[in-house]
Amino acid sequence: MKPSRDTLFFSLLFFVSLPLVLLVVLPLTRMLTQPGLADLWEAIADPVVLRALARSVGTSLAAAGICLVFGTPLAYVLARKEFPGKRLVEGIVDLPIMIPHPVIGIAILSLAGRNHPLGQFLSSLGIQVMGTYWGIISVLAFVGLPFFVNTTKAGFESVPTRLEKASRSLGAGVGHTLFRITLPMSWPHIVLGMIMCTARAISEFGAIVIVAYHPMTAPVLIYERFTAYGLRYSQPICVWLIVISFLLFVGMRFVSRYRRVEA
Amino acid sequence: MIKVQNFEVRVPDFRLQSISLDVGPEDVFALIGPTGSGKSLLLEGIAGLVPAAKGSVQIGGVDVTHHPPETRGLGLVYQDTALFPHLSVRENILYGTRYHELDAPTVRSRFDRFVRRLDLENLLDRSPVRLSGGEKQRVALARALMLQPRALLLDEPISSLDPLFRDAIRELLRSLHEELHIPFILVSHNFSEVLYLANRGAILRGGRIEQRGTIRALFERPETPFVARFVGMQNLWRCSAREGWARVGDLKIRLNGPAVQGDDVFLALRPEDIEWVRENANEYDNVFQGRVMDLDGRGFYVRVALDVHGVRFSAFWMRHVVSRHSLETGQVVRIGFSSESLHTMRVDENPITGEGAPDGARAL
Repeated sequence: MKPSRDTLFFSLLFFVSLPLVLLVVLPLTRMLTQPGLADLWEAIADPVVLRALARSVGTSLAAAGICLVFGTPLAYVLARKEFPGKRLVEGIVDLPIMIPHPVIGIAILSLAGRNHPLGQFLSSLGIQVMGTYWGIISVLAFVGLPFFVNTTKAGFESVPTRLEKASRSLGAGVGHTLFRITLPMSWPHIVLGMIMCTARAISEFGAIVIVAYHPMTAPVLIYERFTAYGLRYSQPICVWLIVISFLLFVGMRFVSRYRRVEA
Repeated sequence: MIKVQNFEVRVPDFRLQSISLDVGPEDVFALIGPTGSGKSLLLEGIAGLVPAAKGSVQIGGVDVTHHPPETRGLGLVYQDTALFPHLSVRENILYGTRYHELDAPTVRSRFDRFVRRLDLENLLDRSPVRLSGGEKQRVALARALMLQPRALLLDEPISSLDPLFRDAIRELLRSLHEELHIPFILVSHNFSEVLYLANRGAILRGGRIEQRGTIRALFERPETPFVARFVGMQNLWRCSAREGWARVGDLKIRLNGPAVQGDDVFLALRPEDIEWVRENANEYDNVFQGRVMDLDGRGFYVRVALDVHGVRFSAFWMRHVVSRHSLETGQVVRIGFSSESLHTMRVDENPITGEGAPDGARAL
């Protein structure tokens, strides 16, 4: 069968973009295939590596959990209400995407330092930010927030307001409507938002390295191994980090597909 | 009984204003108007889903203007039925029962009653997503009726359906109204649809009521050119009308009965009231000779455009009549219509009229 003009046209478009695709695929493939199984095993058997990986996943999930608790109400308000200053709030939510990551780290440190009332208040509670899990998790929540809030907001927006109105007319108040209609229907989006937030947090380096070089997360460890021992010793950890990110990615695709099937 | 007085709702770029109407249990009240006239917004206003900027809504003598929607006890059925896609048909129908202090036997007996009445037995465990339009509509009705609403508000319940289901739902709504004896308020953009169902109604235009009354009165005695056009009076001419005669261009048309008089008024005539006169011309008190300008087949009938001494007429004639007598463009024919089919109205394009609107409403 002769390919139609449309097919040729779309193939051409695809080939134009191919270099960009290769830019992603080639380095990753190279890195994934370079370390031998022995290297990989050796890396994962190293308690320092294992702890760093676990720390990365754990702090990222904690950051996503914080976004879930504090970001969901904001996402709902942004999805449903018009109010003066809404654009400003949306801009603030998007800000972490735009700010260079070391700047985020420095900004958080300056707020948490002893010279700032908030820092004094926190240290009076015994909370240290510099070099602690508190620091890591607050930085990760900062960078993950836009991904969570925007995805969740899109989820709320995808629930027709008419369904909420129908629920109200059937006797359910605002709260019951939120919990029985809006949240269950946008749940896949919320999960997706958490996965994106987690994925973004796992890959964070620039801000963490400023706030907490120790306890060491995987990206910081990779950086340390690279500067101290070279490429060969950092690669196996990279592979493990990629595997974990990939699992998250698969989870994300699965949820979004599930969502489409439902719709 | 629902009583809306001098009601006003404001949303961005639109205002619903000076709305007054009352709907009793014997009424199927139609809110009719073109898209964007505010009829669905009015329905949501009555249900309390959009806040009132002015005026009041009373249900059964109680002022509910500032009550939240969940306490008003009104059943609302949306055009797209707004069934909850993540719940089964059964869960949809039972959704509101927990908010209404109903004991289990009451819930069960009502559930059985409406499931049987609306023929939903075989759908209960299915997802509403895959139901047909008519089935969805029946589930939405059952969900609303489970709570014994004090009135039923229906947003375009019929025109969104497949033609196949329309008659059945129309019939169902009519018989439900007889059974339940509660006010029905029905939104529609299609006048012929409400002719069958409703007994009273209001025609909305740009957020105001243009005319209100019995459906028959709206249909037969439009008071403004807008309403006339909306109820299908496609022949609409500016004319002078005096002492039983109207002058449209060079035509002198005989009028009958009460007519608005003046040098500049509107004269309206339905296309289906114009007959093709082939014999017995004296059956009509208006007979003219005109030339066929255009024939436009519309299914069972043909829309015939005629030029009568420079005045355009539009007539609907049965297709079989047109083809049997091989009517053609350019042919000269005689047309006739009774003076009783003619309606005159003032030129004023935007008056507030109706059956005893309160003074406040008139003043605005």
